[in-house]
Amino acid sequence: MRADDLIRSALDRGQPALSEYESKKLLSLYDIPVTRETLSRSADEAVSAAADLGFPVVLKACSPELMHKSERGCIELNLRSERDVREAYGRIIRSVDLELEGVLVQEMVPGQRELVVGLNRDPQFGSCVMLGTGGMMTEVFKDTAFRMAPFGMIEAKDMAEELRFKAILGAFRGQKPADMDILCRTLIAVGKIGLELETVSELDINPMIITPEGRVVAVDALVVLRRNGNDRIN
Amino acid sequence: MIESIEASPLYPIANPKSIALFGASNNATSMGTGLLGSLLDLGFEGAIYPIHPKEDQVQNLKAYRSVLDLPNVPDLALIVLPTRIVSETMDACGRKGIKHAIVISGGFKEVGGEGVNLEKDLAAVANKHGMRFLGPNCIGVANPRHKLNTTFMVFEGAPGFIGMASQSGSFVTQMFDYLSRYALGFSTAFSVGNEANIDIVDCMEYLGACPDTRVIALYVEGISRGRAFVETARSIVPKKPIVAFYIGGSETGSRAALSHTGALSGPDRLYEGIFRQSGIIRARSMMEMFDICWMLGSFPRAAGRRVVIQTHSGGPGVEAADACGRAGLELPSLSPETIKRLSPFIPQTGSINNPVDFTFIKNIKDYYSEIPKALLEEKNADILLFYFSMSSQTLERILRQMGFPPDQIAEQAAKVVDAQCESIIRVLETHDKPFVGYTFQSLKDQLVRRLIERGVPVFPGPERAARAIEAAFRYTRLRDKILAAASQEKAVDR
Repeated sequence: MRADDLIRSALDRGQPALSEYESKKLLSLYDIPVTRETLSRSADEAVSAAADLGFPVVLKACSPELMHKSERGCIELNLRSERDVREAYGRIIRSVDLELEGVLVQEMVPGQRELVVGLNRDPQFGSCVMLGTGGMMTEVFKDTAFRMAPFGMIEAKDMAEELRFKAILGAFRGQKPADMDILCRTLIAVGKIGLELETVSELDINPMIITPEGRVVAVDALVVLRRNGNDRIN
Repeated sequence: MIESIEASPLYPIANPKSIALFGASNNATSMGTGLLGSLLDLGFEGAIYPIHPKEDQVQNLKAYRSVLDLPNVPDLALIVLPTRIVSETMDACGRKGIKHAIVISGGFKEVGGEGVNLEKDLAAVANKHGMRFLGPNCIGVANPRHKLNTTFMVFEGAPGFIGMASQSGSFVTQMFDYLSRYALGFSTAFSVGNEANIDIVDCMEYLGACPDTRVIALYVEGISRGRAFVETARSIVPKKPIVAFYIGGSETGSRAALSHTGALSGPDRLYEGIFRQSGIIRARSMMEMFDICWMLGSFPRAAGRRVVIQTHSGGPGVEAADACGRAGLELPSLSPETIKRLSPFIPQTGSINNPVDFTFIKNIKDYYSEIPKALLEEKNADILLFYFSMSSQTLERILRQMGFPPDQIAEQAAKVVDAQCESIIRVLETHDKPFVGYTFQSLKDQLVRRLIERGVPVFPGPERAARAIEAAFRYTRLRDKILAAASQEKAVDR
């Protein structure tokens, strides 16, 4: 599926945003590494998906209406068995009163080092990419760097260099340094999404986790769409 | 990127041969009359044609009833009239064939409401005639080498190497005296006002091509042509540094964002990134911006960050070391060769570390010659930070105690200062590395003043010196980053 089609069908359904599942599909089309995951529509499907992915897994309610899931109790982490998955599935279904696209069954990505990567549209500078440290703590740390798209690898590296807590990108407490090549390519790709897809108004990858081996993976993602033609800027 | 300043629409605005002036009169307190005074005070050498509906003479110059009556077509129209008649005046200028204007008058977009429409009308009139203009709501241009000062304030000081573009007029006119205290000055300074036609990006492009401008200073409140701003800056930075002082809007932002990214996209953080991407050094105050301009204009070569400090006083040396550390600079250890060279000059009370503290030195001449020479040749260091402490009064007292008759003291003191100054200049001229001074003395103190006038930066206090040195290092890194990206792009194209 092409990115345009993915977005067009979401807009046709009247969605304000892509669901997490759709958002990550879009990221994958731009070669941004995302979690392995399956969308399930029943507890049985979830259990078999978990078995395919390998335990432990994460279950998340999936809907384009759910923009900030962790605040609503619809994420179940570190599920280690078939029974865990089945129970978690039931809790998620009961916790939300929305019609869900399904329940996402996702590999559990280990790692305490969290980043946020995002896209914002500025009326003067157009598509601007953000890199920040903190994941959940992003708004506390306020450690962010911005660049106007497009930019190349050198600028992407300099962006990481600008962060106050850039030390977490290096070797850290026995963990390997982050894969800077992939991280920089991710930043460039997010800028490219902004330049190529006018219907994307904002984008968050939060968190982007750095695993102990240094892999960087988009663990959650949100792509906000333009609701109508009037709020088009740049 | 323009090849020469003649290609810029700002060239006739900053270098006019003749000016039609609207708004000057025989009323001494009118703004236009003040402007005419400023032009005449600096000795503008071209023709000035006051246009006045009633007067035959304005401040002893022949006045014309209409721009259409002028004997020839001036290069520039300078308009200081009530808002409501600015557009029609611009139209008359266009009909006369004038291609460039500065609109000082306010009452346009900056006041909102009807002003927004008036500004649109003004821009449309200019467009119709193919005119380019600066403003409205600006104070115009100071180009002291061309003896042009269109601002209300009297120009003070001398031409210098700082090219300025400012979104506040005050930071052009009210800086004349401040800069002259440091023997600095503007090459050309533009106040851009509402940027209805020519904007800060055009100014940056002009200053990038201006041969008298060694460093560009920007006062920024907001950029409207974002992409052009970044691209223009990146094309200039490999050749000359750009320093900006920016005061952002509110961090809360005006629109409700749905994403974390949106919520975190306050203007201050965004501009921080945009400046860095543009290769622009961001200063945290106007004074710091001019400190950095001083440093970069004096030493345009690549700068490192390893500093060696020469002092003969403990406290000021320690403070300098601390300031360097906090600015992110390094204080390397001296090499054995340098220690050997310096040991004859070091009294028992001194210390050959970094800072090199000579305490009380027997032969003061060495402090200004052999010692800085050895330190500038230190292979572990990129830059020498030098402490100046002795006031003229102390020098005069020493001479008195040495037995010079009172009527010869001043002359002798001048000779000593002269010798010290020449000695330092000789050392600097034979070495490539930057030499930066700091002092707690008045900048009017004789030795410091002489050095400043010869182009040696001597900062009030070590913190300002350290931050300026760090900015020069930052410039080198930003420039190298942009050059590396450009050569990578070229490689991809091939």
